[in-house]
Amino acid sequence: MTTSTVTPEIVAFAQGVRAALADLPAEEVDDLTEGLEADLAEAYAEDLQRELPDPAAYATELRAAAGLPVRTKPKSGVLSSLTQGWHDTRADLKVAIRRNPALASVVDFLGELRPAWWIVRAWLAAWLVASFFGNERGYGMAGTWWFVFVAFAVISVQWGRGRWHGPAVPALIAVGNVIAVVAFLPVMAAADDPRSSAGDFDRGFASGVDATVSDTPAEGLSFNGHLVENIYAYDAQGKPLKNVQLFDVNGKPLVTNRGGDASPLTPSAARLETGSDAYNVYPLKVTEMMWDENGNYVPDPSPDPRKTRALENGPFLKVPAVDVPKKVAKSNE
Amino acid sequence: MDATQLLKGVLDVAVLAVVEDEDGYGYDVVRRLRAAGLEEVGDASVYGTLRRLYTAGALTSYVVPSEEGPHRKYYGINAQGRAMLDLQRKVWTEFSTTMNNLLTSSTQPGEAA
Repeated sequence: MTTSTVTPEIVAFAQGVRAALADLPAEEVDDLTEGLEADLAEAYAEDLQRELPDPAAYATELRAAAGLPVRTKPKSGVLSSLTQGWHDTRADLKVAIRRNPALASVVDFLGELRPAWWIVRAWLAAWLVASFFGNERGYGMAGTWWFVFVAFAVISVQWGRGRWHGPAVPALIAVGNVIAVVAFLPVMAAADDPRSSAGDFDRGFASGVDATVSDTPAEGLSFNGHLVENIYAYDAQGKPLKNVQLFDVNGKPLVTNRGGDASPLTPSAARLETGSDAYNVYPLKVTEMMWDENGNYVPDPSPDPRKTRALENGPFLKVPAVDVPKKVAKSNE
Repeated sequence: MDATQLLKGVLDVAVLAVVEDEDGYGYDVVRRLRAAGLEEVGDASVYGTLRRLYTAGALTSYVVPSEEGPHRKYYGINAQGRAMLDLQRKVWTEFSTTMNNLLTSSTQPGEAA
């Protein structure tokens, strides 16, 4: 047997052939092309005039002689033609990459990292499933979920190595990889969030309820740069009014600032006949709030009685009556 | 008529025949076929045929590592391959006899029906 040099052209050619066979299982491709470089090197050492043929045409001949299916032709239907288009593009891309040595070496390097990706995608899948059940813990998972991760890792690696290839598996892997790539960044971000825990759902639900029910902007009415805490209305005779509903010209309820923790007051909603709560009914019933020794924001157990009275009754018991022109006053009677 | 077209149908038996006495690796088999007069045989066709015969159980296969270059994959015939070769020899002999007769007789003027 002759020992011959394998030139870079031959290596590139062999890689091109393998790329054109890429739709076949990895094992099949290996068996089919094992020794290809040696055979080519010998053939071209014997006849230096020979030119390397087109790798794709060579692969087609190899495939036909081996009795393997020709690269699947598009079937009818949008989905299958899309899949076919994707397969063709991918195979063409591979052939193109193999023709460019720099690109080929980058791709080869990335290829060496594939086992790491197999583990990462298994972790991603386990994390997503665990978080669905509220069992993720930062980057990790609650105790027994690590067994799920190990199971996923075994499946992922076996798929990656081209074992366990059923008819639908390549498509499954493709879909799974796409999901994994898309989910990777959001999951990393969520896992990195120290608040992320089983309480996420409850918190999200509560904030959603807040947003729907209270429909109150963080900033409410202000006057001369100060936030308005309450509004006291007096009638034409100067007597205080209760339960006055205020709106702006667009029909939006006029609400005071309910700045949450920053405000010393928490208003209670008035109930409308429709059954919904309203915060634009003045004077607002308010609860005086305070910070207790544990740093919790709680209703003040012993509010200043004078301030409570003032809040309830308004700044004045009575204000001067409005001097209404007689005509109008009559028609009001 | 194109000889390469004819070759497709008989490549199996041709490959079996050239590995019958001695195991061979891919290009070795190509060389033996060409030396036997099948000049037009394509490398890839031979490699693919070897692979298919191996998958069909007619050949054994083993890899011989090389210190200097890439390793070579050798193929050898087994009992099933010999049986296949014997059968195909008979088929070929009968077929070629028939074809010879047909072609020879049809060239005789006046004898064509």
